[in-house]
Amino acid sequence: MKFAPNRMYVEAYHKCANCGLLLYEKPAKAGPSMLVRNGTIYCSEWCITWEAERTQRLRAEAVSAA
Amino acid sequence: MDMVSLNIIGGILVSICRDMGVTLMRTSYSTIFSESLDFTCGLALPTGELIATGDFCPSMIGGMPLLLRSCVTEISVDELEEGDVILHNDPYRGGLHTPEHTFFKPIFVDGKLLAFAVAIGHVCEVGGMAPAGFAGEATEVFHEGLRVPPVKIKKAGKDVDDVWRLLLANVRTPRYNYGDFRALIASIDLGERRLADVVRKHGIASFEEHVHALMDYSERRMRAEIEKIPDGRYVFEDYMEDDGIEDRAYKIRAEVTVSGGDLIVDYHGSSKQAKGPINGTLGVAHGAAFNAILQLTDSTIPKNSGCFRPIRVLAPPGSMVNVNFPGPSVGGNTETHCRIANVVMGALSGALKERAAATDGASHSNFLFGGTDLKTGEFFCCYDLTPVGWGGRANADGNDAVGGINGNCPHIPVEVFEYRFPFHMEEFRLVDGSGGNGTFRGGLALSKTVRCTDTPMTFSYMSDRQKIAPWGIHGGHAGAKAELFINRAGSGEWLTITQAFNKVSPSKFANVPLQPGDRLKISSPAGGGWGPPEARDRARVKDDLLDGFITAEQAADVYGLAAV
Repeated sequence: MKFAPNRMYVEAYHKCANCGLLLYEKPAKAGPSMLVRNGTIYCSEWCITWEAERTQRLRAEAVSAA
Repeated sequence: MDMVSLNIIGGILVSICRDMGVTLMRTSYSTIFSESLDFTCGLALPTGELIATGDFCPSMIGGMPLLLRSCVTEISVDELEEGDVILHNDPYRGGLHTPEHTFFKPIFVDGKLLAFAVAIGHVCEVGGMAPAGFAGEATEVFHEGLRVPPVKIKKAGKDVDDVWRLLLANVRTPRYNYGDFRALIASIDLGERRLADVVRKHGIASFEEHVHALMDYSERRMRAEIEKIPDGRYVFEDYMEDDGIEDRAYKIRAEVTVSGGDLIVDYHGSSKQAKGPINGTLGVAHGAAFNAILQLTDSTIPKNSGCFRPIRVLAPPGSMVNVNFPGPSVGGNTETHCRIANVVMGALSGALKERAAATDGASHSNFLFGGTDLKTGEFFCCYDLTPVGWGGRANADGNDAVGGINGNCPHIPVEVFEYRFPFHMEEFRLVDGSGGNGTFRGGLALSKTVRCTDTPMTFSYMSDRQKIAPWGIHGGHAGAKAELFINRAGSGEWLTITQAFNKVSPSKFANVPLQPGDRLKISSPAGGGWGPPEARDRARVKDDLLDGFITAEQAADVYGLAAV
């Protein structure tokens, strides 16, 4: 989540593309990091890997179904 | 650490949470708290980890950790003082929907921040386009009432008057909201006092050691339960019948992956977020997954963040299970939560045949109304919900007419309803034959007919299951669908809301006028059946027939019972 410089309002909501967790740009307390892969935001390497494996699996299932 | 002291400390913490809830129930102004108990109270660490909760509203229990996370991420611990109270209801920051107001109070002992007392309550009136909150035709969050990011409503023990004025200027029932907010604060005040007493008695080090051990214990218990499920990937899907804006169904899909003591709930493949207010927030997606897993596992596991550690929830942004700003979400925490939780349980029903039930009615038939009191001139509002039938289980029929799976909320007693609001309850009964047929049948639905006595008002509705019936399982049949009809004063006709007012949806709409003499007939959905009906014990079929729980036709045609 990106706040205005005076922290009065939210400029953008950033969420992990895989798990949907809200990611804070400057959190008051240490939280999940914001990773960018191919222009997409993720909270962790785990989410990047999970999404890639799921995409691969669904593609393989579609091919075998065809 | 010995188990005796761990259980004693755990028991004390839960007892504090229950006392907080009783305080809230007894001091609140609105029936949604005093009668329907639509709240939850808990205790948490400064990190945001939940350490104990009372057994009130299941949807809030699982949703609480994300709410806490937002607060401690946005407000530094250094900014907190003794006597502060933080309020938060933002659906996009861990919240469940705009009516769900969460109050946090930091608990200090000897100047050290040790914990938070937390109370979440469904505040009846929150402003927005319809009285009492559930605008079934909302298309953005701004129709759904005032959104409150984490703000201090009390600072160092004193009211922040400007915040109170702002909050109370934006609702139709400021006096009731004021009373309910005070009740929520009374609840966390009690939690603060009680927990501080416990810590002073046992010492800070002992308290911290015990609560961490308690969370680790919950984690171990939950992992042991998950390990009983065979490793694998389990999928289930179901639909919301419409969103109040467009006449089409929306898919909820859950893929549950079990690997050893870890469990992943992945909602990938669910529909994109709807235009109407049936979207779940991320808090709902987490809360529903945790609710489902808690239903399927040992109920004695202490409910804290430890038992959630083995469960990972993946909710794609911009979908039915993780709404993006400014999408509406007020129905997500009632209607969609039920659907999500049941989809997760449905996914595991094959692997946990002895534990998973058929779906409950999975809709609250949320009935919201408001108008001006003829005697006092004051605006009144009510959020009324109707119990559903629960699903048949591997060893018993579903319960008849009890609160839906996410709320655990009792119905407002008829006498209280008639005393508080300008309605007469003409009928209140179980719906004969409504439970899904099965070896163990679904619980019966409830039907009530109310007549508006003397006060013109508007009403809104947030429901589902009028088009798609609650599913049975393992050969059990579906339960009966929900219904809503209106009979205008002086008319002999009973019409659906679509017929009477040309609304897109018969189950989700806002601000329909109601005049004195008008009547509404509300029937909730019933539970699905478990197992094939032909395997049902003959004595149970006879008993059901004699009790009027099934019809003679059902007994003969479905269960093959000759006339008694």
